[in-house]
Amino acid sequence: MQAERKSELKNRIFIAIVVLTNAAGNVLLAVGMKQMPDFDNTSVMGYTASLFTNLWIFFGIALLVVWMVAQLSMFTWADLTYVLPVTAGGYVLTAILGKFFLGETVSIARWLGIALISFGVVLVSETPPHETGDDQ
Amino acid sequence: MKWVWVLVTVLSGTIGDLVSAKGMSLHGELDDFRPRGLVRIMRYVVTHPLVAGGIFCNAIAFFSFMALLSVSDLSFAVPVTASSYILKTVCAKWYLNERITWRRWAGVVMVAIGIVLISV
Repeated sequence: MQAERKSELKNRIFIAIVVLTNAAGNVLLAVGMKQMPDFDNTSVMGYTASLFTNLWIFFGIALLVVWMVAQLSMFTWADLTYVLPVTAGGYVLTAILGKFFLGETVSIARWLGIALISFGVVLVSETPPHETGDDQ
Repeated sequence: MKWVWVLVTVLSGTIGDLVSAKGMSLHGELDDFRPRGLVRIMRYVVTHPLVAGGIFCNAIAFFSFMALLSVSDLSFAVPVTASSYILKTVCAKWYLNERITWRRWAGVVMVAIGIVLISV
């Protein structure tokens, strides 16, 4: 019973890590890429140099590495068809971050999309993470 | 040209996820997240052929998605590639032997439609 509670907690923590590192990593990468010199007017060496020295890009990639390892770790106890929909909350987070930090307007269609994704996430997160069955 | 990038992005992303999920599922449930445990996970991830191959495929998907963005809008690229959720679910049934209950199907379809609504 206690082991079950512990692995449920672990699962929830990993969902949070996967969602947060993916959203934050993408935002950092996007900010960093906007600071990059124009690709066509720069030598390959110069472009590569600014790619490797941009801190936004560096931390963006670091977060995406954490995201990847966390998601891969989840596959050792959860199905792909559980992990994918349950971690889709990142789309909702990005839309909401866009509204509050970038002042983007959220249309009715967008709110509907946010609601649909959220329902989907809740629906799947209430199924057991691992349902690979020999019973079928 | 943009449909070529769509195809490459969706197919390599699907293969990448399926193959790396398979490779990780062969490892027992991870429980040790102390530094030594993390090093062990990293070593498994980069040396297991299925997992490393899956990461390689996902890298291809990442760069072809970037290429897609350079020839199309985000409002085209994101909803079109969201179709990979459906493809991955179908493939997970036969390749990973996962049981896709109606709740899982409903959730995946809602997420895919939701992504389309958010980005169009």
